[in-house]
Amino acid sequence: MIGLLNDFDWQRWRLVLIGGTIIGILVICALFAPWVAPYSPYDLDVVEMLQPPSAAHPLGTDELGRDLLSRTIYAARISMEVAFIAASVGLVFGTVIGIVAAYFGGFVDLVLMRFMELLFSFPAILLAVVLMASLGTSILNAMIAIGIVFIPGFARLSRAATEVVLREQYVESARAIGMSHRRIIFVEILPNILAPLLVEAAVAFSYAILLESALSFLGLGAQPPEASWGNMLNTGRGFMAQAPWLSIVPGAAIFLSVLGFNLIGDGLRDVLDPHMKE
Amino acid sequence: MGRLFATRLAAFFLTLFAASVVLFVTINVLPGSAAKSALGMEATPQAIARFEAQRGLDRPLVLQYGEWLSRTLSGDFGVSFQNSVPVGPELLKRIPVTLELATLAFVIANLVAIPLGTLAAARHTRRSDKATTFAATVFGAVPNFWLATLLIMLFSLYLQWLPPGGFTPFSVDPLMNLKQMLMPALSLGLVSSALLIRIMRASMIEVLSSDFIRTAHAKGATEGLVIRRHALRNSLIPYLNVAAVEFGFLFGSAVVIEDIFRLPGVGSLVLVGIVNRDFPVLLASALSITVFVLVVNLIVDLTVAILDPRRVKGGRT
Repeated sequence: MIGLLNDFDWQRWRLVLIGGTIIGILVICALFAPWVAPYSPYDLDVVEMLQPPSAAHPLGTDELGRDLLSRTIYAARISMEVAFIAASVGLVFGTVIGIVAAYFGGFVDLVLMRFMELLFSFPAILLAVVLMASLGTSILNAMIAIGIVFIPGFARLSRAATEVVLREQYVESARAIGMSHRRIIFVEILPNILAPLLVEAAVAFSYAILLESALSFLGLGAQPPEASWGNMLNTGRGFMAQAPWLSIVPGAAIFLSVLGFNLIGDGLRDVLDPHMKE
Repeated sequence: MGRLFATRLAAFFLTLFAASVVLFVTINVLPGSAAKSALGMEATPQAIARFEAQRGLDRPLVLQYGEWLSRTLSGDFGVSFQNSVPVGPELLKRIPVTLELATLAFVIANLVAIPLGTLAAARHTRRSDKATTFAATVFGAVPNFWLATLLIMLFSLYLQWLPPGGFTPFSVDPLMNLKQMLMPALSLGLVSSALLIRIMRASMIEVLSSDFIRTAHAKGATEGLVIRRHALRNSLIPYLNVAAVEFGFLFGSAVVIEDIFRLPGVGSLVLVGIVNRDFPVLLASALSITVFVLVVNLIVDLTVAILDPRRVKGGRT
């Protein structure tokens, strides 16, 4: 065990480890929120309204006397959930579209990728806002809207990676021996394009957290009293002078989680493709 | 080159047409009736039916789209469901606000990114390179709406140097205009610079490892001279390619920042359209942002084709 630890290239995996530690802490907070949070995120206490950080409330209280630390911890659940589901929607649908476009080529490729280019031409926040307006304001719809925003990016990436893999001899051999399309795609192609998709997934996680926070900040995502970093920050806007911690704490939580995923993405990119570092 | 221009222009108009279809369909399936939003929750079914019939909302979507398209092409964006005010003039009034915001943010982003990216590349793998790359990573993780909130707390509430929001046209009071635009532009620009620092650094590293740079060094030129005279111009072409696309996206990302600083731009009009279920307002504002982004992308495409034809792919982009 000690030998393994000694052999481990800490320097090479440094960014992944730092990012992973930040995200690990956030995930633990999200999963074990009822045990980690000192109070319920919904308990009102008019006597304790807008209290600055203290021993009883380490991050202070909000305009309804709710404990800010507890609400920040519970809000991690929403952010992680949205990030995971939205990135998964983008990853699954985008990857399938990209592989199918590259594998079948011709008209299928033209139609699919033109539609992806079209979605890509909308600014992400605009597309998410319009989709949210269309789907209705709820956290589930935020996941779907953000997931749709990610599909073109994953599709482009998986199409490019598939085109490279398709030129490999093992794919040609699989075709020559009459392997089915499905088997070639899932057994020969998919495992070999996973590396860039993983890096993109880490970036998508961070971007999903940013987008969900922006949507909730605008009142289009998670709805009060549900705690979300975005809607907490939005509430804090009304109390910037009296209670600056209401704006600082949720924003810092968004920043840390985005930073964590970005470090993982950068670290994975350096490890999987050292030339990219240049 | 002529053929390339024609192809790019054809692709632009096709994408624009498809984008208008996507926006029209998405916006027209908005939940929550526009009639109820305009007439109030107590509106009778008859009043709702009359409202929808007057505005053609009861007709098939294809017909609605056809009529909307022909009107839009003739410059008529319809009237607001809420207050019956024509949307076109309102949009024209707001575009300069968002354009000014995006331009200032773009200038700030470049003023940060070009020197820092160049410095990092010139000191490649040294401490200042690592510090710059780290700073770019940190800034890239800051949500622009949080940065905006922090800037308001610092410069408006604590130091009381800048107004926390509002808009005065440049033509009316240039100084007040710049004071009001500084924090919104910083919020967008500083976050955007994170990506651009990385692009500038990568572009400069590539150029600095070229043969002609080695030749310049061999001739005895100093590091500063080599960068200013030879490397900077060459590294700026790929950099500006990405930066210009980022400019289009700054225009599109103004939605949240305009809301925070109460700027009467196109982005805040999108939100007005959503909150009021005002289809013509939402459609016109969202489409104008999309058109702007597509036009910027087209200009970038064509400029790159002129400046550096080697970078243009032969077939599909």
